[in-house]
Amino acid sequence: MQSANLDELKKDSRSLELNTLSLWISKLGIFIVVGIFLIVGPLVSAKFYTLANLTTILQTVAILGIVAVGVAFVTYSGHYADLSVPSVMAFAGIITVATLHYGIAISLLLGILAGLSIGIINGFVVGVYKANPIIWTLAVEYVLNGLMRWIWGANQIYPDLHGNNGRAASSFVNLARQYVGPIPLVFILLFCAVIIGQLILSKTRFGRRLKVVGSSAEVAKFSGINVPLTIGIAFLISAFAASIGGIFLTSLVKLGVYSNGTGYDFNAVTAVVVGGVSLAGGRGNIVGVLGGTLLLGILVNVLNLIGVSQLYQTIVEGVIFIIVVGVNQKSLRKLGRDDA
Amino acid sequence: MKTVLEMKQVSKKFPGTYAVKTIDFDVFAGEVHALLGENGAGKSTLMKVIAGYFNDYTGEILVNGKTVQLHSPAMAKANGIQMIYQELSLAKPISIAENLLAGRLPTKGTWLLDRKTLIHESKKLLGRVGLGHIDPLVAVEEISQSEAELVEIAKALGNNPSILVMDEPTSALSKEEVDRLFGIINVLKKQGIGIVYISHHLPEISKIADRVTVMRDGEKVATKDITDVTTEALVEMMIGRAAGEMYRKRSSSIKEDVKLEVKKLSRRGFFHNIDFHVRRGEILGICGLSGAGRSELARSLVGIDPIDGGEIHLDGTEIQFRSMNRALAYGLAYLSESRKEQGLALRLSVGENILSASISRYSPKDGKEIVKKLIKDLQVNPAEDHRMIATLSGGNQQKVLLAKWMATEPKVLILDEPTRGVDIGSKMVIHQAVMEMANRGYSVILITSDLPELAGLSDRVIIMRNGHFIGEIDRVDCTEEELLLAANGKGEYVNAIRESR
Ligand SMILES: Nc1ncnc2c1ncn2[C@@H]1O[C@H](COP(=O)(O)OP(=O)(O)OP(=O)(O)O)[C@@H](O)[C@H]1O
Ligand SMILES: [Mg+2]
Repeated sequence: MQSANLDELKKDSRSLELNTLSLWISKLGIFIVVGIFLIVGPLVSAKFYTLANLTTILQTVAILGIVAVGVAFVTYSGHYADLSVPSVMAFAGIITVATLHYGIAISLLLGILAGLSIGIINGFVVGVYKANPIIWTLAVEYVLNGLMRWIWGANQIYPDLHGNNGRAASSFVNLARQYVGPIPLVFILLFCAVIIGQLILSKTRFGRRLKVVGSSAEVAKFSGINVPLTIGIAFLISAFAASIGGIFLTSLVKLGVYSNGTGYDFNAVTAVVVGGVSLAGGRGNIVGVLGGTLLLGILVNVLNLIGVSQLYQTIVEGVIFIIVVGVNQKSLRKLGRDDA
Repeated sequence: MKTVLEMKQVSKKFPGTYAVKTIDFDVFAGEVHALLGENGAGKSTLMKVIAGYFNDYTGEILVNGKTVQLHSPAMAKANGIQMIYQELSLAKPISIAENLLAGRLPTKGTWLLDRKTLIHESKKLLGRVGLGHIDPLVAVEEISQSEAELVEIAKALGNNPSILVMDEPTSALSKEEVDRLFGIINVLKKQGIGIVYISHHLPEISKIADRVTVMRDGEKVATKDITDVTTEALVEMMIGRAAGEMYRKRSSSIKEDVKLEVKKLSRRGFFHNIDFHVRRGEILGICGLSGAGRSELARSLVGIDPIDGGEIHLDGTEIQFRSMNRALAYGLAYLSESRKEQGLALRLSVGENILSASISRYSPKDGKEIVKKLIKDLQVNPAEDHRMIATLSGGNQQKVLLAKWMATEPKVLILDEPTRGVDIGSKMVIHQAVMEMANRGYSVILITSDLPELAGLSDRVIIMRNGHFIGEIDRVDCTEEELLLAANGKGEYVNAIRESR
């Protein structure tokens, strides 16, 4: 055979340069938008760059960010979103409060385990039985919500600050108000979540399997990847992040109640998608999710600073998101990487 | 002669590459104009331009002498251009009839579907492609791939095209089916339809084409009357040099030990009581028509589908896999015949696809190395590991698919149509790679409808028909003619085995 000829790789004269701008936009597009807001912010209000204001921004979205990092795994796996997030948050919080008399460490552990148990159920039903993720997690959301109302009779349960384990109760309430040096604990947790999430997604074998599963579950199956297990783990991560977020939220509002996580589902999905994680699965990164989260926070803040009413805020948010997603899509197309 | 289509200086650029560069191309009424070229030469892209796939091509296109803009599939259709895509475009869960008349379903009044006309019209169209016996109300997923292919053609005919483009229509067809297709094409020619025909199968070209245009690296090499060129000349124009001998019987590398043995293996409705074995270093061919149960057998071997009875022995121990990941752990790999659905994740890059079946096998660094090596060995073009797989030409995607399974370093490699849509040069590369694997002691099971390939590569061939094992052919006797007879249940080897046992 013509080994001599076949050995030299054929030179193709057709190659053109890729559009570098598009390349950057597709990678970090969301941070460009965040950057724009950081430039526009001070023009809108002199208060924007005060430390207090920047802290406020982060405060409002830190918990959301943690939850969104988890949801991103589900989205990345090609299963759109985990809509059971609000009740998982509430559930983890309630269980923690309800078991505070065992001491803070054990109650936190039980709270997280409670949330994880929901994640296992979700992962099992969606992964093994291939239930529609939206319908299933929505059903879980309702059932768990109802269950919590039934068990605790729609009552709010308070950490008992003066009872027999007042120390555990007060350290629980302080959790969300804890500082490590000058930095709030919850910020540190958010950045840990982002970094660990990013590492899991891009560096681990699980992350690479998840990418194949998210791109095409059928191909993954034919490639010898354990698809149900991979999907299950994605839901587990989502539940884990939601539990952590829920416990912090419960600590912040100082009471455990079934309605604690309300709204976190759609906000998390927004942060995830605006952050560039494709709803079709297999594309995006966790750092982008942080960007999406920050954007949400800054946007609300700027609108508040200029005194836009709640009603108009939603409209502005909507428009901004459409633009961000649109720009992202366009740069992908320029690179020939869109899904069309 | 009337020119139905004329393209002048047409170019199309993709992000990162020119796929088609200043091409002149024309089609006469009632002719078959073949388009040839290596994988990635730009054939599909040129045809997609005609089909209105892109709105950013440059150059001029004339249909029936009038300059037209083909900026959307609708515009192309309105100008009488129909395309049969390399990958079929039928909606699988809905009926043949609805697929055939999609977009122009007959109605009673304004709202109601007119079932009677629907059935009548679709029967008429099916009749034109020799499928008159098929019930138009069954879903597309229930008919075979080759029938679906003909349905696709019928669908195109429904729009009364004056230009019909066929992109590798025979890559999934058996010989009889190809003959049937050629019959249909000849009828269409008589009706004055101009046909563009893309194929890597040169004997086919000389049989059906009137003129031929060769492309290389996005540019046109030449247009010739088919009577003016030899096959050798065509190959030379395609790859820029003369091709060597296509198949050379290699010296056998068969070792004594049986690697994989299958006893009385059955899956109800698909295959029954199949017996065979394959030794280390052996290439075992499986011969049969489409529907003989070859792919189904392969899928059961690697645990994707269940089995109802029988035994599988690997290295002498009985074993049964319940999923592909178990099989892979034991060194069984299966290159599936459906590249797009089961083989490659279209949203991942070349490198990611190559490693997708061996994620636990390589560290990221080793992974990069092996990707680089396989891209080079199999001559994937363009040779860039970060390229999105969807932007590669069909034949190059196929090479990536083989690379993916070679990366798993399997002990037993099952290849199901491994060279579908691959050009001759690349075919040699793939064959070389397969033979080298056998020489290194791997066992290969080869399923292919390409008979010269089966005859040229196999050490031994077993024959399947309608889910049954009906015979075996030895290497010495293994010729194309014998295989053809055998696949059809004729010839002296069929059933001979059974009797001698
Ligand atoms: N969407 C795309 N984005 C970027 N490049 C593309 C895209 N589609 C095709 N290409 C490139 O254009 C060139 C021509 O591809 P094309 O599919 O037309 O080849 P082909 O001649 O049909 O090959 P084959 O015989 O393998 O089907 C290839 O180099 C391919 O990588
Ligand atoms: Mg092609």
